Amino acid sequence: MNVHYDEQQLDALRELASIGSGTAATALAQMLGRPVELAVPRALALPLADALDAVGEPDAMVASVVMPTAACAGGARRDAEIIVLLLFSYRCAASLCELLGVEPRSELGDSALGEIGNILGASAVGALAQMTGLALEPQPPHVLYDMLGAVVASVLSATAGELDLALVLDAELSIEGAACGLSFLLLPTAVGVAELLGRLGLDRVPDPSDPPR
Amino acid sequence: MGELAVSAAADDELVSMGLGSCVGVALLDRERGIAGLAHVMLPEANAAYSAPAKFADRAVPALLASTERLGARRERMVAVLAGGAQMFGGNGRTTGVAGLDLGARNEAAVRAALAEVGISVRATATGGDRGRTVRVRVGEARVSVKEAGGVEVSLWHPLIAADDLVEIS
Repeated sequence: MNVHYDEQQLDALRELASIGSGTAATALAQMLGRPVELAVPRALALPLADALDAVGEPDAMVASVVMPTAACAGGARRDAEIIVLLLFSYRCAASLCELLGVEPRSELGDSALGEIGNILGASAVGALAQMTGLALEPQPPHVLYDMLGAVVASVLSATAGELDLALVLDAELSIEGAACGLSFLLLPTAVGVAELLGRLGLDRVPDPSDPPR
Repeated sequence: MGELAVSAAADDELVSMGLGSCVGVALLDRERGIAGLAHVMLPEANAAYSAPAKFADRAVPALLASTERLGARRERMVAVLAGGAQMFGGNGRTTGVAGLDLGARNEAAVRAALAEVGISVRATATGGDRGRTVRVRVGEARVSVKEAGGVEVSLWHPLIAADDLVEIS
């Protein structure tokens, strides 16, 4: 199936990514008590294989926090409409734990990283929910140390579903004085994207039943 | 990711990096020196979809056809599987999120598709909760697998006895 988003839709999604990651950066700065810099976010609509390449080296080992978000629309709860994904180096994971005064790679360290994911994800998703009027409910975070490809492909399999197109909204956050950069990704499902765009009045939405173009 | 490759060139190496819930399916015909590798992401396709390699039920026949076009023979072929991990929810936890527990379903769908075409699965490194990279050395008909944070280990080579089944978990 060949779905695509037009420039106007991508601009709107980029704007959502920008607001979501901006809110997340503010939350992280408050949590750590230091400035967090935010690079200009991207909104990429790419075939799955290319989406993975755009995120990074598939066999690089990364620390990650995965936070699914369920949408509650019309009383029916639909799972994983947007998955929030944080990717960072092992070294960055260690610095974050240090800043929070916990031992890296310990149960407490992992739970602290999960909490960072929680706070960043919940604030970003909260901002999106507020803008679009969509009820989005964050689910508990998972902390994984694994191959980047394994983490990202597993998430994209879940979000892309039948489509061979992944929408990747990502931003780089860097923490002052900690030599630590985080990739902050919002990965909506096709239904999630349609809903976000619909709420913004840009709903020439991709429809899974469309004939191939 | 969602792609397939076949080769009859002895020096070629087919690689799927960072398999999480995805399954790498390797088909090997050692006698003819032909191998193929598909990166399966989801168990089954809905009717409308055209790109085959992404879905277990389409990837297996497509991979088989591609290797047969190079001259491989089905009755000589063996299958080796890697991946299908439960990335989110190891240690008995459940995510409570549909769609993120694909690993086991992908593996089951691949096995069913292979059974349908009569190819036996001879070696597996599947399940668990770690990502894997799988490499197929075409000429030697060897398959190796490396788990996240681990070292590369041999998963399949032609000297493994015909009635042996290799499982690395």
